[in-house]
Amino acid sequence: MNGSNNDHKLRFSNTGEESIMYDRGTVKVVVFACFIIVLAVLLTGNISYFITRNAVVDKLKSRDLVYIIESIATKVDSRIGRAQETSLILAKDPTIVQWIDGEEKDEVLGRLAKDKVNIIASDFDYANSFIVSAKTNHYWAEGSRLIQVMSETDPNASWFFEALKSGKSINLNIDYNSGRQDTFVFLNALIGNLQKPIAVTGVGLSLKDLAQEFQQDKIGNQSNLWLVDANGKIHLSDDLSHNGKYLNDFVPLNVFTQIIKDISNTADAPKVIEYVNGEGEKVDLVYRTTKSTDWKLVYQLPRRESIALLGSIKLNTAIASLIALILMIFVFYIVSRRIADPLKRALLITKEMEKQVAERTRELAEQNQKIIDSIDYAKRLQESILATKDELEKVLGDYFIVWKPRDLVGGDLYWVRSVSAGCSLVAVIDCTGHGVPGAFMTMAVNSILNHIVDQSNSNPADILTELNRQLKATLHRNDLNKLVDDGLDIGICRINNKELVFAGAKIPLFIKRGHEVHTIMGDKKSIGYRHLSDDLEFTNHTWQIETGDKFFLTTDGFIDQNGGERDLPFGRTRFIQAILDLNENELFQQQYELERILAEYMGTEVQRDDITVIGFAVH
Amino acid sequence: MESLHIEKTKSTPAIYFDTDNHKLSIEGQSYPENAFKFYEPLFNWLDKYLQQEQQVVIEIYFHMPYINTSSSKCVMMLLEKLEDAYKAGKKVVVHWYYDAENETALECAEEFKEDLVLPFEITPVEAEK
Repeated sequence: MNGSNNDHKLRFSNTGEESIMYDRGTVKVVVFACFIIVLAVLLTGNISYFITRNAVVDKLKSRDLVYIIESIATKVDSRIGRAQETSLILAKDPTIVQWIDGEEKDEVLGRLAKDKVNIIASDFDYANSFIVSAKTNHYWAEGSRLIQVMSETDPNASWFFEALKSGKSINLNIDYNSGRQDTFVFLNALIGNLQKPIAVTGVGLSLKDLAQEFQQDKIGNQSNLWLVDANGKIHLSDDLSHNGKYLNDFVPLNVFTQIIKDISNTADAPKVIEYVNGEGEKVDLVYRTTKSTDWKLVYQLPRRESIALLGSIKLNTAIASLIALILMIFVFYIVSRRIADPLKRALLITKEMEKQVAERTRELAEQNQKIIDSIDYAKRLQESILATKDELEKVLGDYFIVWKPRDLVGGDLYWVRSVSAGCSLVAVIDCTGHGVPGAFMTMAVNSILNHIVDQSNSNPADILTELNRQLKATLHRNDLNKLVDDGLDIGICRINNKELVFAGAKIPLFIKRGHEVHTIMGDKKSIGYRHLSDDLEFTNHTWQIETGDKFFLTTDGFIDQNGGERDLPFGRTRFIQAILDLNENELFQQQYELERILAEYMGTEVQRDDITVIGFAVH
Repeated sequence: MESLHIEKTKSTPAIYFDTDNHKLSIEGQSYPENAFKFYEPLFNWLDKYLQQEQQVVIEIYFHMPYINTSSSKCVMMLLEKLEDAYKAGKKVVVHWYYDAENETALECAEEFKEDLVLPFEITPVEAEK
């Protein structure tokens, strides 16, 4: 049972600490901040990706594609241009001209001329080199071979006769050999007078070499580079299998038409087209014509190839974003912990403080209870020295007593003593101080008074003189603490049949007879103080009692009690008036009336001093 | 010597000793739990003042509506010190003000005055209405 109880407590306290560590507000802030950061990073990443992509595409279209196509075109043109030069050189060669002119009869010249043709072909890496004489129709090819005699009826020889008639120093003839999957470009130069040429000479070059260069120059694996003729037939491609096919096998018809029908000069300004292919992919395409032929170079590149390099940018951005995110979350965690920690400490300290305060409060309450218990016991002790009801009735007959210590115990005392038959003493004493110190005093004073009376002294003035002497002797036995200077005020009456003798030390006697109140002030001296002489004398005042006389003794607590509108002491005049106003009830009833009058006067003020009033009528 | 200033509370009077003008004023009710403890600093201060100043001119203004027994003992002790100074030839004047309606205060003042020879004026103050 105990174990499960402890577990429960432990769990409870843990929950409490967690709620401090992971304050709901902090978590909310962190989550919100992380969300904002994620959003910001994603936004930044995407924006920069799109900007980069657009820039890449833009650059691709305006620069890269154009650059590629131009460099290829330049290569094609320069290859053909060089071949053209070579053919012209052959055409102008005097040995060849002379040999042809002599109808190939001169053997020496013939050998020299054939050597030249051979050297041109082998040294300058041409596929073919040839001389075809218009005089003999002999076709001399590289390797000094006479391979054909041209006939006007042979369609394969038509290029020769067309060249002779062209009147142009150089003609370009393209021959696609489907068997070799190769296109040969022949550059035919006329020898002799252009109007009446004697032969056609030249070189043939294979464009297959260019295909390799195409492969090197293009970007990406899915891109294609084609050299197409005016009909759209592919003569050359980076992919040899494309050779001999048509462009519309690879691009949509509308694109094909646009390229073929474009007769504008695109040699200086290549055109860029963007289209979507059959697979739904975006493709960029650029084309231009070559300078040396009316062929067009077409370069086609799928968009995804061109922006493939963006993939790594995308990946890098994502990785960077992720790292930034993790760092931010980490920083937030640290910061929030740093913020939460002092708060947590403060809460723990507060908790601890509250615990301590509760502990102290409990201790104080205990202490207070102990003190109250102790004083409560003291109160019972003090009450035990006060005259009992029986004693009071026996001595005073009709009487009332108001005894209200300001605290539980007090420095006020009423005292009665029967001296002999028909003779008794009654006194009201106000010792300095109240509460516990006052109560100590009353205990001492009670003993001293009893002691004095025990020594058969019943003269009030003498009793006061003796009380002064004995009290001084009791309280000021040494001079160590001069500030301790205590004493008392007292009013004492001896009632002996119809005679009342009063002696007072700062406490007067009020006598109500009919509608008058007589005040006997007594002496203006206190009793027991350090500076007083040991043999103080007091005055006895004698009063002959008549029936209906009522006597009142009060300590200054009643008369000095503040209250009323102006917060002034109750005052003696008001007290005398209060006594006068009391109706002629039994005295014990007058007690309540006096108490009521005082309570009304005090209002909300607290009792300032101990209050004792005694009223009696002698029978 | 520096002036002495003790703030007023519900049960103790305000005490202000203006050294420059040689005026001591005590104003307010006096019924502390331990009157001697409350007045002790004033006694010590006054002793020092009387010792230091060769030509003591001191005027005291009392305005105390209520004094409990032990406080009145202290006031008496204070007055006795001044009485001694007066008798030693120093100039001391006591002004005691009381509320015209407060007979207890008047009686109290008269009791104090009774045993003293130094100049002691008792002046009633009409309540402000």
